[in-house]
Amino acid sequence: MALGADRYASRADTLLFLGCVGLSVAAMSLPDNWRDPIAQGLRQTVLAPFLALQQQTELLSAARAHYDAVVAQRDSAVLAATFLPELRSENGRLRSLLGLGVRLAWGYVPAEVLHQPEPTNPLTFVVSAGRRNGVHPLSPVVSPEGLVGVVATVDAKTSVVLTWANPEFRASAIAADGSVSGIVAPHGAAGPEVWLLELQGVPYRQQVPEGTVILTSGLGGVFPRGIPIGTVVGLAGEAKGWERTYLIRPAIHPAALSHVMILTAVRGPGSDLRGAFQADSVHP
Amino acid sequence: MRKTDRYRYVLILVGLVVLHFTVRERLGGDRIAPDFLLLALLIYTVRAQPGRSAAAGFVVGLLRDALTPASFGAGALAHTLVGYLSSWAKAVFFAENVFVNGCLFFAGTWLRNLVVLLASGRLGGAQLGWELLVWSPLQSLTTAAVGIVVLWLFGRWLAIRLGDA
Repeated sequence: MALGADRYASRADTLLFLGCVGLSVAAMSLPDNWRDPIAQGLRQTVLAPFLALQQQTELLSAARAHYDAVVAQRDSAVLAATFLPELRSENGRLRSLLGLGVRLAWGYVPAEVLHQPEPTNPLTFVVSAGRRNGVHPLSPVVSPEGLVGVVATVDAKTSVVLTWANPEFRASAIAADGSVSGIVAPHGAAGPEVWLLELQGVPYRQQVPEGTVILTSGLGGVFPRGIPIGTVVGLAGEAKGWERTYLIRPAIHPAALSHVMILTAVRGPGSDLRGAFQADSVHP
Repeated sequence: MRKTDRYRYVLILVGLVVLHFTVRERLGGDRIAPDFLLLALLIYTVRAQPGRSAAAGFVVGLLRDALTPASFGAGALAHTLVGYLSSWAKAVFFAENVFVNGCLFFAGTWLRNLVVLLASGRLGGAQLGWELLVWSPLQSLTTAAVGIVVLWLFGRWLAIRLGDA
């Protein structure tokens, strides 16, 4: 079919175009409590088979990687078995390499990150675990490196995660040695310090040395205490001599994630997850 | 166009949608991997009327917004504009060769990212610059490359004649 110059936009085309633009602008103006059910409805109906397809592909990919790892481990085991005296020390080494899931022990759900190509994907992304897996809104989302974000909305089989990079993200934080506390928020989108966090509200008299590890404080009831957020890399600013703000290098960038863990169980106020992250998390 | 070509045409568009949700993540990072969904829309707009292209763009954009709620509505607006302008530009320029189609895919992808970034208002400053001048051109380039391959392989099924560049 040859395309001809007679295919310029007709009046009907222009009206349809303007209608679509109007609807798009209306969609952008919707408040969150209207917008979320619409997005949720689309994910659970039209997009459900495609998300399932993407999830299965992720599983297949993970299974292939896992297969290679299993084969490598099997070969290692065969080799180790030929040297029985060394088996115990090998066993001890493998125990020390057990992952975050074992250290967390309970109350978590693993999920694949279903990345999308939009530039705003690191701000919110969809994961392959939902209400049926026990996920609920405000469930903390972590990786072996540290804090990723929090669950914003939950569907039956998927959830939307609001990452630390999202301008709406906040977390109550504390230095690893307990000396300083404050609120962690994204640093902003401009300047050379993009994709950094900042620790706000630190009293002016308290200095936070570079390299200090910042953890969640457990205050606020959303994040359990002890999840690594990042490390202090410098001073961001001072507010009229009564508080300081420090820049934090996050433990993990959302775009680098393929799998996450969603903490589904509500842990007691005295619980501390510091031990679960010690082996994998940020270091000064 | 023969009747069987119509089914093949739909099959190619469906194939691109399936590729988007299966192999795209294995073709590089999120920000540079080709956008098969947008490519399907752009190929559709080559043949469709501008109004229908805008409507198709709106539907595709709204569905994508459901997957990235950080910019809800921005995707719908961006895809509507890209769909309409792509269809209109094809009619105006009337050129059907590899270079023009490649440019169309490149410009469409870059324009989509530009509108999403500006309409969502989530990024600014250096980050916006990096997205628009580095990552978006790379993604546009990969999308255009895949688009050219698709047209080269299935141009006849899509009823698009490719002349010399």
